[in-house]
Amino acid sequence: MSAQPMRNNLVLRSLAQIGACALFLLQILAAIPRSLKHGRETVRQLWFVGAMSLTIIMVCGLFVGMVLALQLYYVLSIFGGTAASGTVVALAIYRELGPVVTALLFAGRAGTSVTAEIGLMRATDQIAAMEMMAVDPIAYVIAPRFLAGLIAMPLLCCVFCALGIFGGHLVGVTWLGIDNGTFWANMTSTVELGKDVINGVLWKSVVFGAVVSLIAVFQGYTTPPTSEGVAYATTRTVVASSIAILALDFVLTAFLM
Amino acid sequence: MTDSISTQPDSDTLVRIRGLTTVLNGKTIFDALDLDIPRGKVTAIMGPSGTGKTTLLKHITGQMRGDAGDVVVDGNNVPTLSREKLFELRERIGYLFQNSALLTDFDVFENVAFPLRQHTRLPEELIRNIVLTKLQAVGLRGAAGLMPAELSGGMARRVALARAIVFDPMLILYDEPFVGLDPIALNQVLILIRTLNETLGITSVLVAHELDAIKQVADHIYLIANGKVVAQGDPRTIANDGSPWTRQFFGGEADGPVPFQYPAGDYAASLGFTGGKA
Repeated sequence: MSAQPMRNNLVLRSLAQIGACALFLLQILAAIPRSLKHGRETVRQLWFVGAMSLTIIMVCGLFVGMVLALQLYYVLSIFGGTAASGTVVALAIYRELGPVVTALLFAGRAGTSVTAEIGLMRATDQIAAMEMMAVDPIAYVIAPRFLAGLIAMPLLCCVFCALGIFGGHLVGVTWLGIDNGTFWANMTSTVELGKDVINGVLWKSVVFGAVVSLIAVFQGYTTPPTSEGVAYATTRTVVASSIAILALDFVLTAFLM
Repeated sequence: MTDSISTQPDSDTLVRIRGLTTVLNGKTIFDALDLDIPRGKVTAIMGPSGTGKTTLLKHITGQMRGDAGDVVVDGNNVPTLSREKLFELRERIGYLFQNSALLTDFDVFENVAFPLRQHTRLPEELIRNIVLTKLQAVGLRGAAGLMPAELSGGMARRVALARAIVFDPMLILYDEPFVGLDPIALNQVLILIRTLNETLGITSVLVAHELDAIKQVADHIYLIANGKVVAQGDPRTIANDGSPWTRQFFGGEADGPVPFQYPAGDYAASLGFTGGKA
């Protein structure tokens, strides 16, 4: 096959996947009212994708803040502006690093496990068994996981940002000797609640949470019921989520600036 | 055929299939298949591998729809049912999957209780009593607290059976219930199928290959091949039928109407020989 038809084929398949994913989202949204009676399942999934992701989010948040403060200190010291370290750390974390890195970690930690779990449920006929028991798997399996991801992402992002700023403070103030009062005062006077925190932390993380959760449940639900199929599906979840997060980050930043 | 089929519940026949035609990936699975499942009996569906036996069960439960024909279950023409009506029908059907399909996050008790919790608002004590009654019936009341990973294949099959009968269904479909079972577990499942049929009057449909087991439990056997019913009757009649199909299938002959070789091109040509010369 020549390169052109292959490219066309790839484009068509990608568009078909996006279309199928959009239709799947509509199915999930329609099933959410029915899934509310499975509240316990949503809470269980919230624990699984949210609470169980806390360790990686906290550790990564801490180190991202620390390395950011370290890099900024040496760059800003050239211009004698080390006092602005706290401000730049906070802005970078609230506006970009917090939501983006949290979403990437969330896709790797929770997204893949959701995909693998649903894929294995399909491979072992558990999804078919639910349908045979007249239980709608979209309402019982998919919607609770989607909702849990949607709720967990902003909360995890807040934790990431808090630990990131704590890490920046640890390096900037405790280690490199920036004045504590200057660090906090510059930060609080520059960072705006609506423009930086709400737009950055809240909106971006809600959108990223929805996208990562949708990709994870879609890949799991539509995977071929084989071990190879599940393996490919988990890989696709990470790849597609990462691309979607970074592309959407640009679009959202352009709109929210 | 599709015009004339009655959708009135029939006192003798629970499942009536007429003119079912299914083509999957260019291969004809069913070619105007006609078949009746009598009420209150154990009916076995047999046939060579890949002949569409499990697919037939999927048609009966509405998991798949054919390209033509009718599948009427207790007066409901399954291919035409809405999702809600199909789910209502499925609440009256038990389905035993080949791999048991137990929910791996739940223990044995919760697996059996799952349909009750989803479809009823029964008090916890009543749910507990129903579940324990069903587990007692399959001999696994003592295993209520075990997780599916802790069960043997035979035990998992029996738990799945307990779950399938938790609503006292009118029809149970068994997909390869004897595969991978040792003689003891196989006998236990056999006894359960027969007991459920006799005590609860449940209509049972078995898809299986084990002729000796089928002879013990089935009232009626359908032999399916090439998309059609090629032989049918009670176990004694069908074994002595004498047709090439039954002779090959029940005699275990490697070649016959079902060819040993999967359809392929010329053998010599594929080995690189032309004109019969090396």
